[in-house]
Order: sequence, then structure tokens, then C-alpha cells
Amino acid sequence: MSTLKVDNVSKQYGDVTALEEVSFEIEDEFAVLLGESGAGKSTLLRCVNGLTEPTDGTIVLDDEEISGSQTNIGMIFQQHNLVDGVSAYLNALTGSLNRVSMLKSMLQWQSREDKVRALESLETVGLLEESHQRVAQMSGGQQQRVGIARALVQDPQLLLADEPVASLDPSSAETVMGYLRKAAKEHDVTALVSLHQVNIAAYFGERFIGLRDGQKLFDVGRSELTPELIDELYGSVETVGLAEQEKTVEQVLNGDRDDPDDAAPKEDLRPGIEA
Amino acid sequence: MSTPPSDDNSIAAYFGYEELGDSPAERKLQDMKRRKTRRRIWTLVGVSVTGLLFYASLRVIGFNLAELVSQLDQFYEALLEYFPPTTYFGIPFVDLGAYTSFMIEENLILTVQGGQIVWGAMFVTMAVAFAGTVLGLPLALFFGVMSSERVIPYPFNFVFRGTMSLIRAIPGLVWFLILIPLAGVTPFTGALAIMVDTTGYLGRLFTDELEEIEDGPIEGIRSTGANRSQVVSFGMLSQVFRQFIAWIAFDLEHNVRAAIGLGIIGAGGLGLELYIQRQTFNYTEMMACIILIFLLAGSVELVSQRVRSALRDGDDIEKSGIIETFANVPRNILASTMGRRGK
Repeated sequence: MSTLKVDNVSKQYGDVTALEEVSFEIEDEFAVLLGESGAGKSTLLRCVNGLTEPTDGTIVLDDEEISGSQTNIGMIFQQHNLVDGVSAYLNALTGSLNRVSMLKSMLQWQSREDKVRALESLETVGLLEESHQRVAQMSGGQQQRVGIARALVQDPQLLLADEPVASLDPSSAETVMGYLRKAAKEHDVTALVSLHQVNIAAYFGERFIGLRDGQKLFDVGRSELTPELIDELYGSVETVGLAEQEKTVEQVLNGDRDDPDDAAPKEDLRPGIEA
Repeated sequence: MSTPPSDDNSIAAYFGYEELGDSPAERKLQDMKRRKTRRRIWTLVGVSVTGLLFYASLRVIGFNLAELVSQLDQFYEALLEYFPPTTYFGIPFVDLGAYTSFMIEENLILTVQGGQIVWGAMFVTMAVAFAGTVLGLPLALFFGVMSSERVIPYPFNFVFRGTMSLIRAIPGLVWFLILIPLAGVTPFTGALAIMVDTTGYLGRLFTDELEEIEDGPIEGIRSTGANRSQVVSFGMLSQVFRQFIAWIAFDLEHNVRAAIGLGIIGAGGLGLELYIQRQTFNYTEMMACIILIFLLAGSVELVSQRVRSALRDGDDIEKSGIIETFANVPRNILASTMGRRGK
């Protein structure tokens, strides 16, 4: 249960304006950021995460203004940003670093609770059996799922993902997005995900925020996302039009995926919003 | 150009120092003659100076061909001592027994006396190298990490970088000489010299490795809200952990070679034994020491190479063959002692 309020946020890098007076508010939703490369999606996410400071405006999460790196915000990166040389478990465990001292974390003296949480998070993304493996030996999709697990170990109120599936094949992309959606639902957190693939976005998103040239172009719910809006966002590009959806995201999540490991949750993933 | 001097032209004209003819081509010819004359003079000066220096050098070193010839017999005898001949099953061969009996007699490897192990010269050399490496390791880690621009912002990281450069500017051999007042001409001082050397070199290797790490994992750890030292250890050091182990193996290998060289100037072990035998002109014993040095340095290098290539996931470690490794031992020992890393 959390509310993210982005209020008049601008960000400038020297002469370049990356974000210009962007405002929106999301509450317990799976929100998707859309826009071309360079539209400001990553900058916005990094501002919300506290990895960079906005030049102007405020970002408030549950009545608390964000400044500096936040422990209650989990971030998932396009290039997963895991430590390749160590196991999936140790990577997930780094999500608990903010709760232990330097010395204890060096000796891996995290509490039993944190260790179990790390393994449970890996279970959430279907990687419990593989948790001893080195990340370098995993596939791109699995690595990204470890990234989701690490964010979950932080016990976040807000999940951010910066093009989490941009470097994955369509099948892995769908699997990873499925797990991300499931993780957000199970942990009851607000999620803000930037995506390139309009079809995936339309599949999994509940709210859609379109950015163009650093400005907010639209902020709509699932039913209001029209091909016209998409056209306006990307210009007239033939290949990004909305595909006809044959299944809803719920059907996909409920077991139509080809990964046999996936024990997808059987409950409705979007209670109360459009039902 | 060098037309033979003819009667109607003077010597000066031949060397190009007289104007002859009016056409540009003729003037150019004279000009080129002058240039050639100057070149010839410089060549003559160069050859004379070299000749003089060579003659002076021969005088200084006491070069004497007659003595060389008269000493040939003695050299032949020495060769027979270096490689004492014997026959195995009627086949002439080097008497390996002569070497081994010296190795055992002088306790070059190790002996067991009354249930106690007495470590020989070879293990003294190993101990100097190993103790020096372990002592230097924390310092190398400290300096290596602090020199990284990602940890300590420029220009402050250059305090640490500069210290390591200064250490590296002085070869391990000289560090040993400098540190003699601290602990005498002993293996202890040898280990201290290697400790200092390791700080400079291994630290630099660590820094270089840290330069190549990726930003992604650092940002990943930062995004979890970890504190600064946690970001350094989990985001940065964990990326290069395996490489660090590989570099430590490389440094240990280097230090074993350096310890042999330091031994020759007094730091004990095989080097010292070799020096003592040379002073007493025991050629068979000298060769026994040299053989052990080859075996020690060569096998440490082989083990280290295998460990490194296993750690590096078949990365950029060249594996040299056994013969090549042993053949390179003398050159590498010299390089390590003088402070220049082999390869």
C-alpha cells in the first residue's frame, strides 16, 4: 500500500533538458512508462529512486520526500546490474544490505530472517532450485528474475524497473514481466516500469504514462490506451501499433506460459481496479 | 659523384670546397661533394672514438687472450665438476648422485631429525616469498582500493597511487639493501623487502583491475540503499574477487623468483647457498643449487599458471609448456629480482 506522487519534476543535464515539469500520482498500481529512447524515462526512474536528484520539483513516496538512495524502493535495471561472479542467492541477499552493518554483511551474518527472505524471493521468481548458481552461468531472463528477487528482498514499498525486458527475447520477456507483475501483486507494492514494447506494456500495465521530449504526453488507464495515443507518442511508426489482444494478462499469468517451472498464482491479479 | 681527381682540378675541388662551373647542376654537384666530405669526417671521428674506448675498456678489465688459452684446461675441469660424468649401464651420463648427495648433505630441501622436520634452504626461500606476500597483501589491498578513482575522488587517490609508484621505482633488490638496518642480512629482511615490493606491485594490479569493473552492479548495490563501504565491497570488490585471487597467485610466483635473487645478496635460502658455493669454487655444488632453483621457480610458475587460468574462466592467461617454463626461469628470476615483472 503506497502512493507515489511526482510533482512538477524537471531535470537538466547541463543545457539538455531531460525532464520538464512532469507530474503524476500512482497508488497501488502497475504503471508503465512509455516513450522513445531519450524521452526521459530512465531519468525519471533514477530521480524517483534517488540515484540522481531532480533539478526542480519534488517526489514524495507515502508522505516522505525522496532524497538520496532509498532502501524502500527496489530497482530493476535493463542490464540487471547484478554481480556476475557470485551466486543468485548472494545477489538476492544484497537487497538486505541496508539492514546490516558492514562487518556483518562481509561475514554474511545477515539475520536468518533475511536469508530466508532472499530464498523466498528467489522462489517467487521461480529460481529457488537454481539459487546456488553463479549469475554468470544463467540466461538473460533468469538474471533479470534474480534482479527482481534482489529488489523484493529490500522489502520495498515501490518497485521500479528500467526497461527490464529490453534485452530479452519475446518469450523470456513475457516470463520476466509475468514474474514482475506477480511479485508486485504478492508483495502488494506499487510498480513503475518503463517499457519499449507497446504490446507487452498493454498486456501487463494498468496505468500508462507517456513521455515525449521530457514532457508528459498522457496518463491513462488500460481502457483509454488507444492506438492513436501510441501513434502520437512515437510518431507514425508502422510497426509499433497495438496488436489485437487475444488474451488478457490474467489468462497469461494463470498458466499459459511455456516455462514449466512457473507456478503462476491462480488468483486474480488485478483486484478491484477494473473488475 | 666521386670522379677521380684530374690534373686540372685541385684537391679542394675534389672535396667540394671550390666553386666549379656555373650551371645549377654543377653547383649542386659541388654542394653534394661538401656534404659527403663532412659525413666522412664524422664517420672517421666515430670509429676512432669507439676504438679508443674499446682499447681502454680492454685495459681496464685486464683482457688477456694468452691467459684465456692457458686456462682452457682448467675450464674443462670445471665443466667436469659442473656436470660430473659417470656411466649408467655403460652409457655415459651426468652423475646425478653427486648433486643429490650434496642436496641431502647440506639440507637443501628438508630433513627429518629425531622426528622433527628441519626445513632446508629451498623452504627458506619459499618462506621468504610466502611470508612477504601475505604481509604485503593487506597493504596492497588497501593501497589498490584507495587508488581507485571510484573510491577516493581525484586528485586524492593520487596520494596512494604516487606511493605505489615510488615503491615500484625502487627494485626489490634495493629495498632489501635499504631495509638491512631494520633486521640485518637475514631472511626476515628478505620477507620485508618482498612485503614492500608486493604493496607496490600487487596494489597496482588491483587498481588496474578495479578500473575495468562495470558500473551496473555498483549502481545495483547503490539502489538497494547500501552504505558506502558496502557499495565498495559488494558492488566493486565482489566483481573482481576471482581476478584478485589470480593476481595474488601471479605475485606469489614472482616473489618466489625475487626471493631467490635476494638470497644471493644475503636473504638466505637457495640463493645464499649458491653464493657460498660460488665463493668456494665448488662447481658441482653450485650446479646442484642451480638445478634446485630451476625446479622450484619452474614448478611454482606452472602451478600458478594453472590456478590462474582456472580462476579466469579460460580468459587471457597464456599457458606455456613445461619446457618453455623451465627455460625461462633464469630470465624471469632476474626480471623479478630487479623489479621488472616478467611478461
